[in-house]
Amino acid sequence: MTRRITRRRYLELSLGLVSASLLAACSPAAAPAAKPTEAPKPAAPAAQPPAAAPAAKPTEVPKPAQAAPAATAGPTGSTAFDWKRFKGETLEVSLTTSPRADLQKKHLDEFQELAGIKVNMEITPEQQARQKQVIEFTSGNTSFDVTMVSWHVQKRLFGKGRWLEPLNDMLKDPTMTAPDFDFADFSKASLDYATQSDGRIDTMPLTIDYWIVYYNKELFDAKGVKEPKTIDEMVAAAKAFHDPPKNVYGFVGRGLKNANVPVWLGFMLGWDKDSVDKDGNLQTTSPEAIEAAKVYQDLLKNYAPAGVSGFNWNESQTLFYQGNAAMWFDGSGFAPPVEDPSKSKIVGKVGYALQMAGPKAQYSSMFGDGMGISASSKKKGPAYFYLQWACSKTMQNRLLQGGGGASCRTSTYQDQQVLSNLTVPKAWADALVASSKIGRPGLPVIIPVTEFRDTFGIALTNMIGGADPKAELERATAEFKPILEKSEKG
Amino acid sequence: MKRVLVMARVSGEDLVVAAPVARPAYARHRRYLLFVLPALLLILVVIAFPWAFTLWMSLNEWQVASAREFVGFQNYLDLARDSRFLQSIGRTFYFTALAVVLPVVFGTLAALIFHQEFPWRGFFRGVFILPMMATPAAVALIWTMMFHPQQGVLNYVLSVVGLPKSLWAFAPDTVIPSLVLVEVWHWTPLVMLIVLGGLAAIPTDPYESALIDGANAWQTLRHITLPLVMPFVMVAVVLRTIDALKAFDTIYVITQGGPGTASETINIFLYLQAFAFYKIGYASAVVVVFFLIIVLLSMLLLYARRRTVWA
Amino acid sequence: MGVVAVARPLSRTAGGRPLRRMLGRIGFWAAVLLIVSPAVSVFLWMVSLSLKTDVENLAYPPLFIPHSPTLDNFAEVFRASPFGLYAYNSVVVAIASTSVSLLFGVPAAYGIAKSRASGLAIVVLISRMTPGLSYLIPWFMLFRFLGLNNTLLALIITHLVIGLPIVIWVMMGFFEDLHPELEEAALTDGCTLWQAFLHVALPLARPGMVVAAVLAFIFSWNNFIFAVVLAGRDLRTLPVAVFNVLTFEQVAWGALAAAALLVTLPVLILTVIVQRHIVAGLSAGGVRG
Repeated sequence: MTRRITRRRYLELSLGLVSASLLAACSPAAAPAAKPTEAPKPAAPAAQPPAAAPAAKPTEVPKPAQAAPAATAGPTGSTAFDWKRFKGETLEVSLTTSPRADLQKKHLDEFQELAGIKVNMEITPEQQARQKQVIEFTSGNTSFDVTMVSWHVQKRLFGKGRWLEPLNDMLKDPTMTAPDFDFADFSKASLDYATQSDGRIDTMPLTIDYWIVYYNKELFDAKGVKEPKTIDEMVAAAKAFHDPPKNVYGFVGRGLKNANVPVWLGFMLGWDKDSVDKDGNLQTTSPEAIEAAKVYQDLLKNYAPAGVSGFNWNESQTLFYQGNAAMWFDGSGFAPPVEDPSKSKIVGKVGYALQMAGPKAQYSSMFGDGMGISASSKKKGPAYFYLQWACSKTMQNRLLQGGGGASCRTSTYQDQQVLSNLTVPKAWADALVASSKIGRPGLPVIIPVTEFRDTFGIALTNMIGGADPKAELERATAEFKPILEKSEKG
Repeated sequence: MKRVLVMARVSGEDLVVAAPVARPAYARHRRYLLFVLPALLLILVVIAFPWAFTLWMSLNEWQVASAREFVGFQNYLDLARDSRFLQSIGRTFYFTALAVVLPVVFGTLAALIFHQEFPWRGFFRGVFILPMMATPAAVALIWTMMFHPQQGVLNYVLSVVGLPKSLWAFAPDTVIPSLVLVEVWHWTPLVMLIVLGGLAAIPTDPYESALIDGANAWQTLRHITLPLVMPFVMVAVVLRTIDALKAFDTIYVITQGGPGTASETINIFLYLQAFAFYKIGYASAVVVVFFLIIVLLSMLLLYARRRTVWA
Repeated sequence: MGVVAVARPLSRTAGGRPLRRMLGRIGFWAAVLLIVSPAVSVFLWMVSLSLKTDVENLAYPPLFIPHSPTLDNFAEVFRASPFGLYAYNSVVVAIASTSVSLLFGVPAAYGIAKSRASGLAIVVLISRMTPGLSYLIPWFMLFRFLGLNNTLLALIITHLVIGLPIVIWVMMGFFEDLHPELEEAALTDGCTLWQAFLHVALPLARPGMVVAAVLAFIFSWNNFIFAVVLAGRDLRTLPVAVFNVLTFEQVAWGALAAAALLVTLPVLILTVIVQRHIVAGLSAGGVRG
């Protein structure tokens, strides 16, 4: 145990090595810029470490209330929750391009009025956003207060780096958490995702994405084929519809390395098997993994369009929207475009099926996003208020209604008013409700997720090219095993 | 004909002659270095810290959010054994060779054409350099769509002409030529501009003597124009080589290094290590090795360039 | 004048019989059309994409001429980002970094050409040879340390590593080609080295400066990643606007093409203006010899 603690200390120290020394060194230089004379009470900032000074812009006068880190202890006087408590503050919110981000942007004024907090929001595409997040977090000081976290990729990494502020104390504090926020309303799956193994809750659940099967009802009806419910039925249907000369393909899905791994792991869940078991052992050469890989190979090699090994969801969707593919297996967020006549030729002709059952079980691959507060933020109180609004019942209901993703709150699915005001087909929402009961993480919850996806993604791409699934999986497993062991040790 | 050759030579040689002859000239050479100093200092100031950081980190094992540990040259030893890295070097050379030679050949030809006087020359020249002005990442997205094997406009055009369809960037054996196609489209104008500028700077007297000697168009081109414009072509070659070695936007946007690893060049490998796997130490070692490769190649080219100028 | 002189040998030899001359002309025009066709066709396709809805953009066989042209895609570009602000940032950064690159780069190129310091020529290339990705983390830390993060100055500095080597390398060629007699004459007349450079070499190297400036400007204009990682929210440049039209679930081809065209437009206008200078510069250069 003691060894562990010292290691963590070492970790924190060395992580900060370059950045902390820079920051410490820069405080005297930047101090004049902060213009301490403008602060109304020069005595109050004295309690603050000098390192905080450079971040404060001259125009923003630090308030005493905010000097207490994270505002964990409520300010003297008020005991009731007050949305206006941080009135006049300014927040920097950095989001990743997604329907969730668009939704927050659309209703932002609502929060600004409610809390009297000015929000500067920026939405950045995923690739750049991830680059930016990591660069800013490792430098020890972020330009944003609130950010979005992709649980299935970043949860363990962010947890290990302690980059996000734990929300546990604020959640318990009645002066900080709105009485109607109802944290217990979040589904168990989303809370599992939001909680680190040591009990820290460092993100607020924003959405859970379940994978579903989109199918072209027009094609299915024409041939009298029923909605595919099992993997076998899916393969049979793909075979029945596949007709490349007529530009109709039985199945379309991700073949591009990295992106393709969830497809394979989705099949694997049908054999009731995860890629990494509870004890952290790789299961990727198990008979179940190989069977699932064979299904993947069969579908993408034999019943998918040529060139599918370069397809991500984007190339897949364009074929499906044009009515050229019978089935498409991917995340649930594509209902709005597929039902939009300016983008799709098959509006109203799309079936939404649950992730197909395998010989052993039926699960729904689950992915998700949370919202977190940067541990280096000077405005944790206002940031926490923002999180409460962004993940409130109202916002979660809107998310589902607009088809932007599945709500993490159980109340959303019990609210008939919400369900009767959908802008997307009811069948889609039904598939999500059913999925939420059988959700299971679609990717292993390990630190080197991206390396896992990369290594096994290449193996899957090779299989589309005709390589033997067993041999490929064994090769990839041998390659990845040391990486996993190292990361879990360090 | 002989006289033409001599003329071309002379205009290059008289530069060289100046050097060893007079001593004051040598002293003056050193004073000319003062002209270089400000730019050199500026560059060094801007890149000093990044380089110090990279060199130091390459000696450490540091995965983002983990403990940093000094490991000496371990990262370099690992790199030498990393078959994926070694393969990426080969791919980078393949890609670079095509993405340098083709734009240089086409760009030089285009410059020769645009050096002629003809109606609407300015307009056509403007149109020709359009691709270079477009944001590379955005254009790469448009090309991705054009490459789509089933829905892409390129395959449609092929089918109309009666040629067999291609999988373009979506198959391992055609992916690099397809990416090169985008690079050629994008950067041929760069070469054209540099060479065109060079053509304009060519002294006119060799041509006049050639005319007197009755040299034909091909002879003039081969023996006067090309040798004289060669230094400029070499500038284009050097700049193109550096950029092609480092090509990132086009490849990342269109294939992300795929299918599989079929288009994974060193820079894509570097990106994966640094920003997907978060191995900053290892990635720093990649930067250093990658940089050395670029320097070596450029020195070779520079040697070639010196021969074209001062030989 | 010089241009004519150079062009003449080629056209002169094509003469002789009228038929041959006509064939030569046809061949020449075919070559002109051939070399501009890749640029033209891709840009026309982008124009076509920008005027159609996405369902039309995805149609196969492709629809080249829109059935019902729409400007919605262009409206979307302006809706998705503060286009004016980004354009302002882009212009400031590109002009500033190009000017500084010229200011430092042109004398440096002259110095290198005159002293034949080819080693230095490699050294100035170092900044460009360094993979851009490796700059991101250290620069971010450095600019934060200096309090420069969130300033256009930081962006201008980063763009120098792109522009300065280009300027030096393009200009080197021009100065190497200069006949030394002119400067020698100036020096004998009592000019300092600096005056000889300023009054003799510089005017003669004008075509090179135009080319160098255009290239440095374009490279700065199109740089994307530095602006995203190193600049603050209000300091984004135009390429960011291109990505702001992309939504997660659907790459909006029409809006993307519209954004790409709009971002290209200012550079296009600039080159049209500079075009005159290129022409002027080219003929000025030709006189020499």
